[in-house]
Amino acid sequence: MRFIYMENDDLAKKLEKISLPEIELQSHKTKLRLLLMEKYSPEKKRREIFGILNKLIPATAFAIILLFIFFNKRGFQTDNLARAKEIALQNTEIKNWVEEGATIKDVQIVDGKAYVLIEPAETAEVSVIKETSEEPPAVNLKSGGTFQENVETKESFKGAVAEVNIKEKKISNIEKLAPTVTGLIEKKKEKTLEIANNSTKIQEVVPKEAEVLDISVTVPKFKLSKEGGSILVLPETETEERASIIYKSDGKRWEGKINLNKEEVEEVKSIKDINNSATPENPGR
Amino acid sequence: MKKGEKSQIEKAKKNPEAFSELYDKYYSQIFGYVLKRVANLEIAQDVTSDTFLKALKNLWQFRWRNVPFSCWLYRIANNEIVNYFRKRKGGWVSLEKISEPVSSSNPQLEFAEAEAELEKHQEFLKAQKKILKLPFKYQEVITLRFFEKKQIKEIAEILGKKEGTIKSLLHRGLEKLKEEFPETL
Repeated sequence: MRFIYMENDDLAKKLEKISLPEIELQSHKTKLRLLLMEKYSPEKKRREIFGILNKLIPATAFAIILLFIFFNKRGFQTDNLARAKEIALQNTEIKNWVEEGATIKDVQIVDGKAYVLIEPAETAEVSVIKETSEEPPAVNLKSGGTFQENVETKESFKGAVAEVNIKEKKISNIEKLAPTVTGLIEKKKEKTLEIANNSTKIQEVVPKEAEVLDISVTVPKFKLSKEGGSILVLPETETEERASIIYKSDGKRWEGKINLNKEEVEEVKSIKDINNSATPENPGR
Repeated sequence: MKKGEKSQIEKAKKNPEAFSELYDKYYSQIFGYVLKRVANLEIAQDVTSDTFLKALKNLWQFRWRNVPFSCWLYRIANNEIVNYFRKRKGGWVSLEKISEPVSSSNPQLEFAEAEAELEKHQEFLKAQKKILKLPFKYQEVITLRFFEKKQIKEIAEILGKKEGTIKSLLHRGLEKLKEEFPETL
């Protein structure tokens, strides 16, 4: 081995000792410099454009990825929402409500569980009938604001929230909103009475001895709201809440229109005699 | 020294004059190296032209990593030499269209004189002819070590390899050179 290394060293020494050409071609150097100077500006411009593109490409790619994730997540969520609706509609109780006109108003997903809000069919107003002082007031639903008298008191669907386990494809719980609705209606009724009692507009038109025949309030609508990883059922507050109060005295009737948000009586008017008609003069109002 | 070179490169990215200064500084070194690798004046001119054109094109991508600018140029030159031998000429930038600058020297005469000068170094030409038959990786280290008189550390910087690898390449390169041409140089 030593012999080989020595030979390598000998070869290395020989190579090191070789006389080397020291040549310079001035004409080539000058020509090449000219060419480089000619190309400098276009190269610089190209680089500047490329630099801008270089900065834009990662930003664009990042935006595309974000959009992809966003739409993918949205698509996934939309799938789950549809699935939750489908599972809810397979439940007999919910199916019956829907057949009677109820609709699925909202679906929200939290921690793999979907919450489905079922809203009853058009229930614009509730009439709190107070026909005689002997009978207790009852809450009856009337549709589309049409006045209905002597409607029998019965337990009707006032909305519900179903908790759906998407993975297991089943409903874990159904919570009816009837107690909440009744409570809210009762509050509205009290508020309506309070506003009416304190209103000079009503005092000027309606005799003191007149008794309250009926109070109609709008049915509270609900929405689902995600808060801190849980779902809340909240009453909708976007719409203006109105109520009407009917007074009766000596066969005459008066109607007061009340804005519950503004807490004021908007209008008081006399309506047809109870003996001649069962409906107000202007039922649409 | 290195700090000065760094700022010179940064200037060259903005100002053609600064680039011209860098060119003047390194032209002879790169041309000399290429000539020692290819042992042919015409090829050396072409490869040198392409080396500097590539350097200009990639100048804006050059990032200072405490390695001299010359190492970067050597690396480009190495790639261009490999490209030349792989493609066997073609696509080279012609300097013919560049108008002849006003000069007292005659290019043809200069070239003829340079060739005559090269012919005087027969021992070098014979050695290089043999080296050219080795794989590129051995050609690079042998030329840089024995003709460019570079230290192992510098060769490692130029080729972007570890010093141990360079030593081993040199050893094997010399072995191959010796095996293929057992007769004396």
